[in-house]
Parts: sequence; structure tokens; C-alpha cells
Amino acid sequence: MTGAAAQTETFADLVAGDRAVLTRVGVRITPDGVQLMLPDGRPALWHWADLRRLPDQADSTVLVLGRVGDRVGRLYLRDADLQTQIRARAPRLSKRDRVMPLSRLFVWAGGAVASVAVIIFLLVPVMAAQLAVMLPAEGEKALGDVTFEQIRVALDETGLLGVPICEGRQGNAAMRAMYDRLNPTPDLPYDVRIHVLDHDMINAFALPGGRIVFFRGLIDQAENAEEIAAVLAHEIGHVVNRDPTRDALRSAGSLGVLGLLFGDFAGGTIALFLANQLINASYSQTAEATADVYAHAMLDRADVSPAALGAMFERLLEEHGDADGIVAHFMSHPKMAKRIAAAQAAVVDGRDYGAILDDDQWESLQTVCDDEGGGE
Amino acid sequence: MPPARLNITYSGRKGPIFGLALKTGILTVLTLGIYRFWAKTRLRRYYWSAIRPGGIPLEYAGEPLEKLLGFLVAVVFLAFYIGVVNLILMYFSFALLNGNVAAYVLSFAGLAPIIFFAQYRARRYILARTRWRGIRFGLEPGAWGYAWRAMLHWLLAIATIGLLWPLTTLWLEKYKVSHTYYGDQIFVQGGRRGLLFGSMKHIYYPLGLSAVVLATGVWSSNPAWFAMIMLTGPWFVYGLAYWRADSFKRMTEEKELGPMRFRADPSAWTVVGIYALGWFLINLVFSGFALFMMVPATIILGSVGPDLANFEQFEAMLAAAAPLLIFAYFAIFLGYRAMAHAWITLPIAAHFAETTRILNAEDLHQIAQRDRDEFAEAEGFAEALDVGAAI
Repeated sequence: MTGAAAQTETFADLVAGDRAVLTRVGVRITPDGVQLMLPDGRPALWHWADLRRLPDQADSTVLVLGRVGDRVGRLYLRDADLQTQIRARAPRLSKRDRVMPLSRLFVWAGGAVASVAVIIFLLVPVMAAQLAVMLPAEGEKALGDVTFEQIRVALDETGLLGVPICEGRQGNAAMRAMYDRLNPTPDLPYDVRIHVLDHDMINAFALPGGRIVFFRGLIDQAENAEEIAAVLAHEIGHVVNRDPTRDALRSAGSLGVLGLLFGDFAGGTIALFLANQLINASYSQTAEATADVYAHAMLDRADVSPAALGAMFERLLEEHGDADGIVAHFMSHPKMAKRIAAAQAAVVDGRDYGAILDDDQWESLQTVCDDEGGGE
Repeated sequence: MPPARLNITYSGRKGPIFGLALKTGILTVLTLGIYRFWAKTRLRRYYWSAIRPGGIPLEYAGEPLEKLLGFLVAVVFLAFYIGVVNLILMYFSFALLNGNVAAYVLSFAGLAPIIFFAQYRARRYILARTRWRGIRFGLEPGAWGYAWRAMLHWLLAIATIGLLWPLTTLWLEKYKVSHTYYGDQIFVQGGRRGLLFGSMKHIYYPLGLSAVVLATGVWSSNPAWFAMIMLTGPWFVYGLAYWRADSFKRMTEEKELGPMRFRADPSAWTVVGIYALGWFLINLVFSGFALFMMVPATIILGSVGPDLANFEQFEAMLAAAAPLLIFAYFAIFLGYRAMAHAWITLPIAAHFAETTRILNAEDLHQIAQRDRDEFAEAEGFAEALDVGAAI
């Protein structure tokens, strides 16, 4: 069969790559490779081991061949019989030759990872911290408003309307009374707005510009109003220290970089990530400790036992086990045991603390999400 | 000696491109996006090789690894720019303007020169990796020159609410084409300033008519006038297709490559037809898919019992169905992409290729090879910013 093929000569088109010339050449199968008979009579041999097929070609009736060491020379073969023989005999027809040393790729990959790491973990946080302090109160409020709406929508499972804000009038008044008792106003450039969202999550967080958000889940878990007051005091601590503003600016910087890195390969993934990041905003240990210290002092002034904060954490730990799951926000805060101890240490021995709300107020706070408050 | 006149034949087919787009899309999702450099390379190889001027296919010689490298190079530079600039813009938009819509606008304006820069560099890379008859194409360096010109011309177009868009298009095309080579032969883009205004006529007419009709409708407070929008809407859609076909024709016929000239006769109605049929078929498939998904959903609901009052149970079911929903999401995303390739991108490319001819090609054989443009950065900036070519 080889002998028969060697005698029949078929034709193919050759481009050599020096000029835009298409040359009709005779093609012969030989034991060493494909022999091309050029018009001037010179033979050229393309060795079997050197032959490479161009992949992903649209016209399946033509076999386009190249060869190792020749970047531009191409042979366009139409003859089906010849194609079959070449496919059978060329051992590395489908091999893809590497165009660059992998070491170069690794160097740049390392560079990319390093530069992204420096920007996300060093440059952006430092700048965010600086800018957060400089941002005027009005700007902070606007930032908080935008973030608040984004979180409401992100948490709503239908993804359309946003988680409802609880409108119970007396409940909200009770929350306000609690805030007024704590009285942090001298420390703040703006009025604090407190919302309860009708959602199961056991969580509360602060947003830029003095918005504090409680989830109904947290209020359901509390045993008395003092525990809620303690959480409120802690979040006010964050607001006073401008932690939420710093965090929002930081995520604006780092998310842009992350989006760049991953590309939006399935659309919308970055948006999901953004929402997640906003909700689970975790501050540094120092920021948490500072907010705690602020809260202890404020609770003390309002005649509420600072131990309330620790009591709530402790019970949540017992009921829900370890740090993950539904108790996400608070439990993921580092060094929980240390914080509980600090809260208990802030209690002045022998002092008799009072209650922050009366029983009626506490009950209406617990049912703040139940009625429409007549205000809808 | 090649014949004087070369027709372009097209050998791409819907089935193979659908398979290729679907396969590479799945691999891209499975590799969290890393395979996209391979996906893009393979699709381009197919699309390039489908176009055969004078029977010889174009070749796309780009390599996935050089794209990946170029992307990494771009990330090193862009990460700094995007991280720091985004942060500062966000700060100023809230500090001075109290809203972040302004931040998006500013952030985009800050990116605009880089986007144009990236587009030019991507074009340079793509042309450097395109060959025909074994001869490389090429684009001379000049990305910053392109970037500031593009900024200026775009500003002009925006300032005239798009009325000067034909001029912007022509100017930028002239800059790009007159830096383009085939082998050692440079391209020339001819055409006087008014060249492309005629191509916009079917956009101007319905817009003008709509303005008149709306004004009359408001003035005479007769709602019947507003029904005229039913007429100008489709006319405007036709106008977009007409612009695409006719501006391509006019610019192609003013291009010169040495003694070579080009003729093109794409039809706006064919363009409209391809899009209409393509979208119809895609919608048909998705409607079928939705019906198909309803069957298991109904069966599950039916077997559990429609206890809609029990909200907890509903949530549990949602959780159980989550993997199915994620699968459906990616199926829709990848299916749409593959169908759009097969029913829209490929037929459009086929139509434009088949209606274009090369004239005066007798001296084609005198064109000599040009040196390889190594261009380590490839189209990294465009890839990172996601402003690269559609394929």
C-alpha cells in the first residue's frame, strides 16, 4: 500500500511565508515523511515527526499542515486519501508546541499576585482609613443610604423588593428611648437612625453615616432589653469610630481589583460577592475591642450592666455551638471568650444596675415586626 | 499569478461553532474563568479559518498562553490604577456630590483613555496574529495617539447627541487602517468627511419623525399621534442594520492596499433577517426549556402537597432545589452564548464575507513577509478590562 501511494502523486497548495505566493506542489508519501515537489523541480521533505495539524479549522475537507521550526509555512491538502495516510503516519500531528517557557509565565503570575496582594491588603486599607476620617458627614450619610438599600435587596430571597422594615410604632419608640438613654450624641456629627429588619438572621450592624440595623432574629434571641442595649452600644461604638465608612471605602477599592482578576465569566458573580462582603463586613480585632470599650463606658453611664453584652454572647455560644452558621456576624468576631471576660470585668463590683426599658416597652420592642404599626 | 478578482468564500457552519462555543464555555465555567484564554483562541481559529479570500483560509496564530501572560502583565499595572482610582473617585463622589452614580460616571471617564488604549493594543495583537497566504498582517504602534484622538472624537459625538457619529467612526477608522499592514504593504483608508452620513439616514429619519410626531401629539393632545411610534420604532431598528451594512460597504470600498481595491454589497435586510430569525430561534429554545423545567417542578410540588401556607417547608424545598437552579443558570448562560454564535455571529460574518470581493489582485505575489511582532502583552489590557473584540 505504501508502495502504491508513493507512486501516485497528488497536489496541494503551499505557502512558504516569504511572499504572498500560493504554489501548487506535488505531494508524495515517502518512508521519511511527506515529499513536496516544488515547481522548479527541487524536492522538499517534511518529516513525519515534524508535521503539525492546525486545529479548529472551519473547512473540514481541507487538512492544513505546518511543521516544527517553521512559523509561517503551510500546506493545504484537499485529497481525502492523502489526508487519511498522513493522519495514520504522522505521530505528533495533534501535538501543541509550547510557545514560551513556563518560567516566564510563573514570574508574571507571581508579580500579579504580589501586586494585587499589596494593593488589597496594604494600600487600599491605609488609604480607606485616611479618607474615612476626612469624609464629610453628608457624604457619609449618602454612602450609608446607598449601602442600606443594597443590603435590603440582597437579603430578600425574591430579590425584588428588599427585606421589609419593621414599622411597629411603639417598638421603634422603645428603641429610640433606649438610644436616648445611652445618649451618645456629643460624640457624633449626625443623628443615628435605627432600623429593625424583618429577617431571621441573628445579627446587627452599623452602616456609614449613622445607620444601625437590627435583624428580628437578634431581638428574638435576647432575654431582656439590656442585652439589646448592649449590642446597640457596641454598634454605636463602630459608628463613632467610623468603622463602617472605612470598610465601605475599602471594599470599593478591593472589589474593583478582584473583578479585574476574575473577569465576569458568568455575569453577576461580582455583584453577589459585593452584597456578601457588605453584610459580613468584619472589622479588625482592634476595631471590635475599641467599640466594646466605648460600649462599656456608655452602658455604665446609662446605668446598665456592661455584662449584658457578654451574657448575650455566652448564651448564643451555648445554643448555637461554634462560630459558623446562623450566628454568623457576632460569632465570627475573634476572641469571643476574651470579649465576654472584658464585658464582665467592666462591671463595677457591688453596684446595683437598673433596667433600660420598662416591661411594656420591652414587649413592644419584641413585637416591633408583628403589627403594621398603622404607619404603612 | 493570482487572478485579478478574488471572491471570498465562507466555510463556517452552525453545528460545529455551536459545539465549539458550548464546549469551551463549559470548560471556562469549570475552570473559574481560566480556560477563557483557550476558549477565545479556539473560537478565533474557527472564525478566521472560515473566511477564505480566493479559496485560501485566513489563519489565526494567537496562543492561549501568551494571552494569559498578557493578562497577568495587565493585572500588575491595572490593579494599582483600579484599586486606588476607584477608591479616590468613590471618596470624592460622596464627599462632594453625595451619591455614587457620579462615582460610576467618573470612574468610567477615568477609564476611557485606558479602554481606547487597550482596544488599539488588542487590535495590534490580533492583526499580528492574523495571516493569509502565509503573510502576516500588522498594526504599527500608536495606542496613545489613538487614545487621545478617540477621546476627542467621542466627546464631539456625545456633544452632538450622536449626530456626528459617522464622522467619529470614519476618523477613527482612518487612523486604524492607515497604520495597518498586510506584509510590507500599508493600507490606506480614503473617503471624504461626509462619506458615512448617508449610512445614518435610516436612523436620522425615524428619529426626526418621532420628534415631530411627539411634538404634534403633545401640542394637539391627540393620542393618535403617539401611535406613529409603532412605525418609527421598527424603522429605527432597520436603520441600525442599514448603518451596519452601508457603513461597512462605504468604508471597505474606500480602502486601498497597493493597487488592490475592495467591493462589498452586504444587505441591511439580510442583517435584519439574521437577527430576527436568530432571536426567534433562541426564544423558542428557551421557552421549550422553561416548559421542560416545569415538569419536574410540578411533580415535586404535587407529591409533597401544595402546602403553600407552610413557609418553612417552602424554604427547605428551595434549598434542596438550589443545585438544580445553579445548573439551570449556567445552562441558560452557556446555551445562550453558543446559540448566539451559531445563529447570529456566524451568519452575520458569513454574509459580510461572501458579499465582499478583492479587485486588482494581480500583483499580490509581490507582497513580502513582515517580521513577527512579539508583543508579550498580547491583548491583556483589553481582556482585563473586558473591552476586547466580540470574539
